[in-house]
Amino acid sequence: MNRPLISLLNVLLLALAPTLWADTHPAAAKGLVPKGSCAVCGMHVPKFPDWAAVVTFQDGGQAWFDGPKDLFTYLQDLKRYAPKRQAQDIASIQVKSYYTLKHIDARKAFYVLGSDVMGPMGKELVPFATEPQARDFLKDHRGQKIIPFQEITPATMKALE
Amino acid sequence: MRPSLQRHRSVLDFALSSLLRRKGRNLALTAVYTLVVFVLASLVFFVQALKHEAGELLEHAPDMVVQRMVAGRHDPMPASQVEAIREIRGVEEAEARLWGYYYDPVYGGNLTVMASPDPTLLPGSARIGRGVARNMRVAEGDMVPLRGYDGLPLLFTIQQVLAEDSELVASDLVLLSPADVRTLFHLPEGLATDLAIKAGNPRELTTIATKIVEKFPDARPILKSEMLRTYEAAFDWRGGLMVVVLASAILSFIIFAWDKATGLSAEERKEIGILKSIGWESGDVLLLKFWEGAVVSLAAFLGGVLLAYGHVFFFSATLFEHALKGWSVLFPRFRLIPALDAYQITVLFFLTVLPYTAATLVPCWRAAMADPDSAMRS
Repeated sequence: MNRPLISLLNVLLLALAPTLWADTHPAAAKGLVPKGSCAVCGMHVPKFPDWAAVVTFQDGGQAWFDGPKDLFTYLQDLKRYAPKRQAQDIASIQVKSYYTLKHIDARKAFYVLGSDVMGPMGKELVPFATEPQARDFLKDHRGQKIIPFQEITPATMKALE
Repeated sequence: MRPSLQRHRSVLDFALSSLLRRKGRNLALTAVYTLVVFVLASLVFFVQALKHEAGELLEHAPDMVVQRMVAGRHDPMPASQVEAIREIRGVEEAEARLWGYYYDPVYGGNLTVMASPDPTLLPGSARIGRGVARNMRVAEGDMVPLRGYDGLPLLFTIQQVLAEDSELVASDLVLLSPADVRTLFHLPEGLATDLAIKAGNPRELTTIATKIVEKFPDARPILKSEMLRTYEAAFDWRGGLMVVVLASAILSFIIFAWDKATGLSAEERKEIGILKSIGWESGDVLLLKFWEGAVVSLAAFLGGVLLAYGHVFFFSATLFEHALKGWSVLFPRFRLIPALDAYQITVLFFLTVLPYTAATLVPCWRAAMADPDSAMRS
């Protein structure tokens, strides 16, 4: 190619270069970092860090969810979503507490049903570390019911659809 | 090389040499064009970089600030309200802040005086921003007098000059111990300027704000998102002001470029006639003119954008610094962090390169359609 054309192309490349260094802020590594896609619906979990729930198995394997709703769907039908796993293989289940956005033990948490706060997939079971927190939230956000972990059944899930 | 590419290359070659034949005219056009792109791009880059900077700084700002309003004006508030606010569900931290403005009559600068919660800042010592240090011509270890509310001077030893990276906002900052701020401004114990609140979940901020207003009807909560919007609006306003100032210059360029681009000289008309008579098709002529326009406008665009980049990010936008930044007499002196937005560069491109290239094509199309014989004769 002849000179003018090459120099023109060079200038073009030079000018475009700065736009290619898009600045990306890595998420602050605090506790468990959401990763991968939801084991139930396939949505990208790191996009919704405020709701990310996780099941950790005894062999260190993890299943991430974009919200408690999908977590319960998974737990209630383990055969379908993780045929190779058993319920007793689960080492820990964690959900994000609404008020602090920190991971808490899902089995000890309280969930508010029917509030005006929506999760990534619409209606959500909003998790809290303590019952007084759940009560305050229920009052502020017009929730219907506080349910502990053990009492969440497939019928509860129906109400979220 | 593929034949179609080869054709474009040859036409481009021809376009470049034909541009070079009318060197003076085309150079002048490119220079003016570059200048306009440079000014516009500088403005866009500068406003963008300022917004970026403000956003970065506000990242560390509290989620919400609560002020007390008395007769529609901001008034000191009882610091005891912090306790009641801390009990609201969803509040992670609440802190009473002490600060105020201080006008320095000697150096003619407005300072922001703030109490630092840091216990290592002892009464009698101060940490100051770079702008303050520059203006008062003081360094670490020197003494600065500040006039108290009663007119008596208070002496402070400068413990530290604050780091440069926060200069845009911290330039006029003076940090003192809480006791000193109270003495300087005559703020009684138990009163605070405002409250800073951090929420565990930002989604709860509006609920918290509602509860605060319910509890203290004279309180005015200001959310961080509102502060961000205000900053953005302020910078947009300053940017808009510059656009108005530059509008006449830009308009005259548009008229000039339009005139150059749409009118064909007799010589050019003749040239097109000759090209057609030696076997060029109308399409080839249009391609030639398209490349001519593209070369001029692309060169001007790239040159202008590169110059603007250098101007804004290496020379801190010296040309319109005074119109665009600074809240007070103390101008921050800093280097902007390059923050480029692909979207804005694209908009700039479409606003400058495309219209020009398009405008050159229409008259050429008309000339190319004409009979070569009459074109050469005219």
